[in-house]
Amino acid sequence: MSRATERRRNAAEWLQFGTAGVIVLVMFYPAIWMVYSSFKSNREIFRAPFALPSQWRWENLVEAWNVGGLGTLYFNSVFVTLVAVSMCVLFATAAAFAFTRLEFPGRKLMYRILLIGLLLPPPSVAIALFTQLRDMHLLNTPWALILPGAAWQLAFTVFLMRAYFISIRPDMEEAARLDGANTWEIFWHVSVPMVWPAMLTMVVLNTISVWNELLFALLFITDDAQRTLPVGLVRFSGYHSTDYSLVFAALTITTVPILILYFILQRHVIAGLTATAMD
Amino acid sequence: MLFAAPAMLLFATFVLLPLGASVYYAFTFWDGFSAPRWAGFANFARALTDPTFLMSFVHVVFYIAATLIFEVTFGLVMAVLLNSDRRGFSLMRGMFFAPVVLSMSAAGVLWKFVLDYRTGLLNSTLRSVGLGDWAQPWLAQPETALLFICIVSGWKYAGFYMVIFFAALRRIPRNLYEAARLDGANGVQQFTAITLPMLKQNVIVCILLAVTGGFAGFDLFFTMTNGQPFGATEVPATWIIKQAFDQNQIGYGVALTVVLTVVVSLISIAYLKISERGNVTRY
Repeated sequence: MSRATERRRNAAEWLQFGTAGVIVLVMFYPAIWMVYSSFKSNREIFRAPFALPSQWRWENLVEAWNVGGLGTLYFNSVFVTLVAVSMCVLFATAAAFAFTRLEFPGRKLMYRILLIGLLLPPPSVAIALFTQLRDMHLLNTPWALILPGAAWQLAFTVFLMRAYFISIRPDMEEAARLDGANTWEIFWHVSVPMVWPAMLTMVVLNTISVWNELLFALLFITDDAQRTLPVGLVRFSGYHSTDYSLVFAALTITTVPILILYFILQRHVIAGLTATAMD
Repeated sequence: MLFAAPAMLLFATFVLLPLGASVYYAFTFWDGFSAPRWAGFANFARALTDPTFLMSFVHVVFYIAATLIFEVTFGLVMAVLLNSDRRGFSLMRGMFFAPVVLSMSAAGVLWKFVLDYRTGLLNSTLRSVGLGDWAQPWLAQPETALLFICIVSGWKYAGFYMVIFFAALRRIPRNLYEAARLDGANGVQQFTAITLPMLKQNVIVCILLAVTGGFAGFDLFFTMTNGQPFGATEVPATWIIKQAFDQNQIGYGVALTVVLTVVVSLISIAYLKISERGNVTRY
């Protein structure tokens, strides 16, 4: 974005830079404070909340990892997110393909019904879903989070994938059909490669949602071995509410990898979110 | 049709089915285990006289109003402020947006530390500048708890709205501003005469997102206070969960979810109708 041959900034631009800089730094500071506090002892945290640690206690992180069973939480979160997101994006792409490229009775109606999901808040079915999952014997299994997780992201994913399909002319698909390809081949070999960028965007956005999901995870999983990170973190901070350095360490372990991943994928995340609210 | 089938099946099983079941359970007395008994409108009558439930709507309306300021308005201001090609601005936009990708639970736990009475960042800052008298247990007193949850929500989501408005700002043709400058319009005039009207549609979408998202608000409230102190931060979602799972009143809890769903749907539809009448294309 910035060029080496920039003309010099005038006073207004310096003012803009300074104001923005101060606001952004003040708002970002809690994250930095969290990271270095996790290396302090409790006594240091109480005596001098602002100060850097006198010695960097890596053992805090090790202890939090072991005491909190963070390895299990990470594994469960990765598994649930991976399966739910793949399922959702694949199903949504197929549905968007059907809604825009194929003719069949009830096409409009199906899409309309799906759109209900856009405005419906998850708490509105949480209780009924709980009893339903119990009757299906899915409580306390990863599927209690995967299936509803994927289902609740569908409306929004289909909505955006459909918009993307509409923005591309169906010429390629029609040409393939004239060449004698069947619908299945057209979908896999023509459409999917074309809408791939949109699918990746949806993967990124759905990953953020599913990874951070709290309500369903709280209600549908009561077995410690099956818990995911958000609930695990809340419970951990509740159990160890007086052990500040331990909770800081757990927070750091669970958020810093996400932040690093975000800064690497920043462009995709922001492009995706922008597309969401602009179309 | 075969291509739409997996999506429709999944959606029907885990969204529509529980939604339909909710409507039925709402008319029953049910503890979740024995057979549901028909209750008629008893649960709804009770909901309308449940003081905590009614207060939870007052709280959530306050929360939504606050998010319109701390998230949408602040996000818009920051989008304008961070709209520059100069060096450093791209990084600042990235940092400002970063909290959006964190989980609400991580944000909630972190901010409980920031607002901690003894060792929190806020009170430590106040003490270090000689305003130690102002230090308070922000989340433990009813007068400030809700406000501070709103502020944390703003910290978490202002970046989201900033990014949306920023993208919209980039789409406004530059020559509009040049023409305005030639006509002698100053910065504020340019903002009100060009920027705001051009962003109108984005503002409408953002307000809708803030309102529907606000009613469903749960994560931050659960993580930070779970309704405490003295019910000052009780919102519909936290109260519903307590009724259903702590009190085993599934039927009553479900009735509350139905009330919440109806309220959110009516407001969304009314809002979209009103904004359409303002000659704005629907998104």
